[in-house]
Amino acid sequence: MILRPALSLARREMVRFFRQPERVVGSLAQPLLMWALLGAGFSPSFRAPGMENLSYIEYFYPGVLLMLMLFAGIFSTITLIEDRAQGLMQGVLASPAPRITIVLGKVMGGIAVALFQAVPLLIAAPFIGITLTFWGVIWILIGFLIACLGFTSLGFLIAWNMESTSGFHAIMSIFLMPMWMLSGALFPLDPATGWLWALMIANPVTHALTLIRAPLYQAPGVFLADPHYWNAFGIALAWAGLCLMLALWRVNRLERGATPPT
Amino acid sequence: MTPPDGPPAVRVEGLTHAYPGRRRQPPRLALDRLDLTIPRGCLFVLTGPNGSGKSTLFKILSGLLLPSGGSIHIFEHDLIADPRAARRGMGVVFQRPALDKHMTVLENLKIHADLHDLPDPLFRARLEAALAWGDLRGRLNDRVSTLSGGLARQAELVKVLLHEPALLILDEPTAGLDPGGRSAFLATLRRLKNRHGVTILMTSHIFAEAEQADQVGILRRGTLLALDTPRALTRRLGEEILVIDCDEPERIAAALEDQPALRTQIQNHELRIQGTGLPELIETLLKHHRARIHALAIKQPSLEDLYIHLTGRALARDEEEESP
Repeated sequence: MILRPALSLARREMVRFFRQPERVVGSLAQPLLMWALLGAGFSPSFRAPGMENLSYIEYFYPGVLLMLMLFAGIFSTITLIEDRAQGLMQGVLASPAPRITIVLGKVMGGIAVALFQAVPLLIAAPFIGITLTFWGVIWILIGFLIACLGFTSLGFLIAWNMESTSGFHAIMSIFLMPMWMLSGALFPLDPATGWLWALMIANPVTHALTLIRAPLYQAPGVFLADPHYWNAFGIALAWAGLCLMLALWRVNRLERGATPPT
Repeated sequence: MTPPDGPPAVRVEGLTHAYPGRRRQPPRLALDRLDLTIPRGCLFVLTGPNGSGKSTLFKILSGLLLPSGGSIHIFEHDLIADPRAARRGMGVVFQRPALDKHMTVLENLKIHADLHDLPDPLFRARLEAALAWGDLRGRLNDRVSTLSGGLARQAELVKVLLHEPALLILDEPTAGLDPGGRSAFLATLRRLKNRHGVTILMTSHIFAEAEQADQVGILRRGTLLALDTPRALTRRLGEEILVIDCDEPERIAAALEDQPALRTQIQNHELRIQGTGLPELIETLLKHHRARIHALAIKQPSLEDLYIHLTGRALARDEEEESP
């Protein structure tokens, strides 16, 4: 009673994605534009300690992939707000299907959309000098999966508590985008000091990015032997799992009416 | 789908719901210890002004809200303690069709079938049967966004019939339809009830629709004002009503105070008189008040008249005051 409805709702996410060409173009074009423009602009001046051989275009590449995960999570969950008030989601809530199928459907759909967007970019990696191995790609996909699970679950949790899409946009600007900015996607963690370093290290998305970055620049035998990688793996997985659990808990919680006035 | 005997389709006992107050406002009471029983195989219309609690009751029945107190049983399944069992036999039609407009009609129907765990062969068979209730056969592969309001409503109905519910609950299902579409939709509901024994509970603020029901409940400020068959309800007012459009209706009403068999009520420059001997009364009134009277008519009492009789005000005026 869970799998069929959840898969059906996930399939719906994919169909909706492809039926809205502006969404396909927008979600692919924005990260690519940022990559091209910021890459071209910062490359001449980019000098990060320990990354002397890396151009900014190469450095920013995993950040762009992470941005695709973030956008896939945001766009698949923002629709919940109107959908719940006057769309198909009302029928889902009134059906006998357990409410957790809503979360699972969104998350699976969000992951499928994100992978569809990220794979073409991954194929382009050799063109910027990044060599990918089969096992490297597998570990990158695992990183995608964890990052997307976290972003979609977090987006769900936020959207479920919102009554308007403008509220969600505000949260996106002041919370979700800064999480991405402070992940090491735009600038490296190592030269950062003080509060900025503390914020970056406390940010679970920093660790999710490590899961994508490491297989791009190191052979699996090297990063899998590095305890820092497994540390990041544990933190990112715990963050994604916690967001998923919170989303499942929230969707199952129905508010009881207030105590009537006397 | 369900035998006519057995426990009632819906049993609501002491149902209370209050919305939380905002910005130091106290909670707002929407339903106040409501008791309501709807027998199986009945077309029941819950009517009343906007803000009377109809939508709140609908949201509670459809699982979108948990009440502050009280109980609801759907075919003896406790909706609050065991919502999934209660919802299995229920079909819910929302005021705005709960369809994805980016998807085709067939894709929307398939999602609904999946939500009810219907395997593909059963879905195909049920789809054939459900399509008989609308004109959607040629539009299955069209996107919902291309359907007219009436067809979208039909798609919604076909959708909820896929799992063969024994109880259909509908929130203002004719809202936004033209008069032709409205009467066609109501005729479909009656056929569903007559041929398959489906119990139908619908909300409507249109009294003319409520008059076509087997039973009517009139809700106002979260409590039931009246509950009976439309005929029994209107019979409470007597056989006929004399409605007079006049100036100074108070003076005419005062002149009739010495006739205890007559009941008068003033509503928007209209004097409404109930009682016996109305044709004779017309002659008397014309003799003494011709200059004040613009028009008069004898009519059968309607649910709107009953509402005015019970509340002392017209529905439209009540709606203005109840609206936030």
